[in-house]
Amino acid sequence: MISQPLRPRLRSRRTGPLAAGMTAILAAAVLAAAGLALAGYDPVAAGHALVSGAFGSWERFASITLVRATPLILTGLAVALAFRAGVWNIGAEGQLYAGAVAAVWVGLAFPAAPAWLLLPGAMAAAAVAGGLWTLVPVGLRFRAGVGEVITTILMNFVAIHTVAWLVHGPLQEARGVFPQTDPIALAARLPRLGSGRLHAGFPVAVVLAGALWWLLRNSAWGFRVRAVGASVRAAAVSGRIHTGRVVLGAFLFSGMLAGLAGGVEVAGVTFALYENLSPGYGYTAIAVALLAGLNPIAVLLAAGFFGVLQAGAAAMQRDVGVPAVWVSAIEALVILAVVAADRFLRRGMETGAGPPGRSAASPGSEARESSSGSGDPLSDTGG
Amino acid sequence: MGVPTVRSSGGALAAAWVLGGLSVACGGGESGTAGDGLRVALLTSGPVSDAGWYAGAYEGLLLIEESLGARISHQQTRSPAEFDEAFFSYGSSGYDLVFAHGFEYQDAALRAGEEFPDMTIVVSSGGRISDNVRSLIFRLEEGSYLAGMMAGGLTRSKVVGMVGGVAIPPAQGTFRAFEAGARVIDPEIEVLEAFIGSWDDVAAAREAATAQLSRGADVLVHNTDAASFGVFQAVREAHGDQDPVWAIGMNRDQNDVAPDVIAGSAAIDIPRAFMEVATRFVAGTLPPGAFDLSLDENVVDFIVNPAALDRIPAELLSRIGEARAAIRQGTLEVPRIRFLEEESGSP
Repeated sequence: MISQPLRPRLRSRRTGPLAAGMTAILAAAVLAAAGLALAGYDPVAAGHALVSGAFGSWERFASITLVRATPLILTGLAVALAFRAGVWNIGAEGQLYAGAVAAVWVGLAFPAAPAWLLLPGAMAAAAVAGGLWTLVPVGLRFRAGVGEVITTILMNFVAIHTVAWLVHGPLQEARGVFPQTDPIALAARLPRLGSGRLHAGFPVAVVLAGALWWLLRNSAWGFRVRAVGASVRAAAVSGRIHTGRVVLGAFLFSGMLAGLAGGVEVAGVTFALYENLSPGYGYTAIAVALLAGLNPIAVLLAAGFFGVLQAGAAAMQRDVGVPAVWVSAIEALVILAVVAADRFLRRGMETGAGPPGRSAASPGSEARESSSGSGDPLSDTGG
Repeated sequence: MGVPTVRSSGGALAAAWVLGGLSVACGGGESGTAGDGLRVALLTSGPVSDAGWYAGAYEGLLLIEESLGARISHQQTRSPAEFDEAFFSYGSSGYDLVFAHGFEYQDAALRAGEEFPDMTIVVSSGGRISDNVRSLIFRLEEGSYLAGMMAGGLTRSKVVGMVGGVAIPPAQGTFRAFEAGARVIDPEIEVLEAFIGSWDDVAAAREAATAQLSRGADVLVHNTDAASFGVFQAVREAHGDQDPVWAIGMNRDQNDVAPDVIAGSAAIDIPRAFMEVATRFVAGTLPPGAFDLSLDENVVDFIVNPAALDRIPAELLSRIGEARAAIRQGTLEVPRIRFLEEESGSP
């Protein structure tokens, strides 16, 4: 049996104070502003563009920021659930592509079907495809003890190149000219909410976040997931938990959430399959999940935060002329600052001791019971 | 074990939201609306530092700012998920003219055209058109045909190679024309073709070029963007004074990128084309549907590398010159691939 070197505790024990967050944001803003000023851009104008690009009006906020956040919520939930169960699913990107392919296929294959059938069918197909895409890593983990960190990453490349082949081959638009599929049937598209671009995928993602949060906290299944994630060995020794089954379920469910993200993206945003469909949602999802302390409700906030960053960053390009590479660098800087400040300030607080405050908005606080104690489960579940 | 422990950043997140809300409350307003002069935007899906396709578009945008006093904006989109969003942003901020520089924007452009009837979108090499969505078609085949003649005249092994980015009709069309041009010089010439599936993957382009060189090709043409550097590198390495190997530039005058090995470039003067479009747009004379720009408008041409002139046979140069004049007069028709769809509604 091959032991898995990486089985960290990722869960939060308590929330940081508002001051930590403020410090982090301010530090990131100062760093980013200094960088921009050095590069010859007006940092005040850039900051203004960022904020007004993300929040400028309700229509803009809904049409850009929330639309950007939607796939990040779903993939963020996928990663959070997997990590909660001690499964290192780094393959949300590939599972998203698998889901996108399935949804587009359904949306193209049954143009005459009514919307009440076609749309749910496409979404279900997307989720199932995302789940199926985890089967190779699942099989390799259970049969051969191969760590899923490697296999899920590799499956991302398989998915990306399969999509490239599909849009040049079997799924290419009818005229066979451009590397993309035909647009999916109108009945397979997610309805718009209001006058802007916000689509029904957003409320679906929010509801799923709430449901996952409730399940993890209150259901027997949620308890088993948390127990296995905290320590596979302890859970196995207890004799009451089928660790293999729990890991398998969490892995599949995680893949389904990521697959659904792909389905929602094609049914709500792009309406066709392209190469490079995802700007790395499946990878950003890891940052989202970690920033959220693996709490599904906090995933909403974290995904929204990234949505703001990306929407604002695009506006910085448009309004101030900051090149795309700078924009990416600033995004990364903000993430680093937020994570770092949060940790440093917390460490200081912890040495100060005292029981953790249970504030109302405390993402992850319910995870305390299971994450305290023996937190170095190095053994694999085995077959 | 020193495993990382990542905790919740709930506090940071909450702070971010509060801060965001505050700055909106403090007057983060909309920037600009319609009615304050010409506003022109450019969308590219690659960096404008590519010394090629995108750089030309950005130069065109700057030229429009300078010559027509337009207010300009540029966004590089990173994935198709951002196409609709970018059009939405420009449409809702009152932009008049948006250059979407690549066929990939065509579907999103049609959707945006319906949603923002006052905005005109010009899709470079686009295959679909509507009332306010136009297609700007560069007849690069004409320059590529002349480049093919150059290659046919220079090759000694009678094998020439073509390294393309993504296999789409505008790129394939230039290769068909290149082939035809080479075979006008010598019908026996063998033509190798490879598409690397990316416009800017330098390593892949270099690999493909090296493979063609090892199969005996001694003149290579490309149709990529930033990936062209890979082709030039491979050619440079294979080049010997006794045993010359040539490269031919494409899309933009690349003669000074590798003056020792580039014989010439089949180039589009993209800034000139953009100016032409913008000027006609302002004057209200932009033709509906597709707008073709070719050798005739001096937008497309084959530019011989001045640094290589003394190494190119004068007879070959005069033959190319004759063909160029014949294309201009319309007596020589260059093969091309048509990819424009008839006017269609939003998909």
